[in-house]
Amino acid sequence: MSPETQMYLAQGIHGLAYGMLLFLVASGLTLIFGMMGILNIAHGAFFMLSAYLCVTVLGATGSYWLSLLIAPLGVALLGILVERFMLRRAQASGMGHIAELLLTLGVSLVLAEAVKLTWGTEGLQVNVPSALAGLVNIAGLEYPIYRLFIIVLSLVVLALLSLVLFKTRLGTIVRAAVSDPGMVSALGVNTQIVFMLVFGLGSWMAGVAGVAAAPILTVFPGLGDQIGMDAFVVVVVGGFGSLFGALLAALFLGELNAFGIQFIPKLSPVLMFSFMALVLAFKPTGLFGERE
Amino acid sequence: MKRPVVWLAGALAVLAAIPFVFGPLHTNLMVRLAIEALFAVSLNLLLSYTGLLSFGHALYFGVGAYGAALILTHLQGIPILVAVLLSALAAALVGLVLSPLLVRVRATAFTMLTLAFGQLMFVLCSKFREVTGGEDGIMGWTTPPLALPGLFSLDLRQPVNIYFFAVGLACLGILAMWFFTKTPMGSVMISIRDNQKRVDYLGYQVVLTKAVIFCFSGFFAGLAGAVYAVFNNLVSVGGVLHIMVSFQPLMAILVGGIGTFFGPILGSGLLLLLEEVTQAYPELALMISGVIFILVVMFLPGGAISFGARLRAWWRKRAYLRKARESEA
Repeated sequence: MSPETQMYLAQGIHGLAYGMLLFLVASGLTLIFGMMGILNIAHGAFFMLSAYLCVTVLGATGSYWLSLLIAPLGVALLGILVERFMLRRAQASGMGHIAELLLTLGVSLVLAEAVKLTWGTEGLQVNVPSALAGLVNIAGLEYPIYRLFIIVLSLVVLALLSLVLFKTRLGTIVRAAVSDPGMVSALGVNTQIVFMLVFGLGSWMAGVAGVAAAPILTVFPGLGDQIGMDAFVVVVVGGFGSLFGALLAALFLGELNAFGIQFIPKLSPVLMFSFMALVLAFKPTGLFGERE
Repeated sequence: MKRPVVWLAGALAVLAAIPFVFGPLHTNLMVRLAIEALFAVSLNLLLSYTGLLSFGHALYFGVGAYGAALILTHLQGIPILVAVLLSALAAALVGLVLSPLLVRVRATAFTMLTLAFGQLMFVLCSKFREVTGGEDGIMGWTTPPLALPGLFSLDLRQPVNIYFFAVGLACLGILAMWFFTKTPMGSVMISIRDNQKRVDYLGYQVVLTKAVIFCFSGFFAGLAGAVYAVFNNLVSVGGVLHIMVSFQPLMAILVGGIGTFFGPILGSGLLLLLEEVTQAYPELALMISGVIFILVVMFLPGGAISFGARLRAWWRKRAYLRKARESEA
């Protein structure tokens, strides 16, 4: 295989890995938005917090797999608390979606600072678990196994999510509440509890992505900023509340990012925002969305 | 005389007296307040009057600041007022250019789009260092005096002179926006906030009105940015285009009182005081911002300005109860 083809293949898989990671983050975000109409600005901070929790659990137990289990659950718990004790109050303030956006913005600022105070501002390193260290040969290209693991992990979480959404009673309720929360509530479902669970589930997914990303990125307080911003773009481009749209947008933006860095490094952050502006110019609801 | 006129004259008299009462050294705080308040009120036109939450208002502030810095650096001898007005016009022009996109989206999509444009400008200004100086920014230009040839000439490096320059422009800007909210177009703006569809069906120009509001709000945010540039003699991406620059006026509006015209001015003052008090702990600044956002949204959605109304309601209730008790006895 020529070096040029290898480069394309490597960047292509890079883009796929980042796209899947991005989808993991964005699907939680879009699920919450679709159901509750809340764009959780603190979603990126949850991602970052989970990576830090991973560092701590890893330090205490030495097991990466245990931290993959525990850290996202911690973040999910935090998400549930934020929903129950803060967002619900904010929704009653009569400011509409503005209150929710500003409240979650406050949560993200507080989390970023709390992390700095707890773990310090220096970057921390997480080692790739030994079972997934090393390279694998794909058609003559040496590629790190761990990045392939990220793709697989994202697919597994996605499969679990689809199972819950499409095969369980809870999933039916959630899907119904996405299209009409008022009607579902009128049919006798306690939507408050469902909202709380969905918020926890969405936060859990950000947490899983945070732990998955920790070994390939340096863990630092600004870790969630970039991917959080990218996830907002994915949710907007894919259409608010649309999982399928988020998948397509995340994969596309992952590749756009990978090849943008390769060919026009100076302007790669611009590409993402320009694409979002372009989509909104022609379809204000996003590609597969029905609501604004 | 009418009451508002008396209030206005009183406020202007107090503002004019401040540098002579408190001494010239404390005027810097007032200049910062003037810039912050003008910026916050311009954002408030969108937030409280049109019902649109912007996470990227630093875009206009930054364009105004960079505009002033570039004009003053490259066009020697241009009158300062012309430079400042041109910079504000540049910011208004940015609003006009973006308006075809901005008018199409509402609610959260609007917030995300403004966030994107703000970040876009931040990245562009950091990368094109030939024009903007990158992360170092632009500094060290000579600010021309505020002068009318043959009449007077004021050196703006003097604290008292920059005080009158900044506070004067801020007052003019805030008054202009106050009058704007009272015009027929201002009423259409408020109606768009309450029910855009109905306004549209009634035959008003929703798209055009919104475009005018974006230009208008952008103009005064740019004016605040230009005054900031003249005052600091330094413009950098971190100082004028960073996302925290967009959050600062949002916080002022929230703290002062969302949905009111004068709340943001009060909020800017309170935040500036808080900043002075916590100056010794710069690492806590973001934490404090976050806590303010959370606490105000949760416990005081009306902001500080609602304290007055609450106090009055409490007083009335007390008086009423006392009267009721007396009549019983």
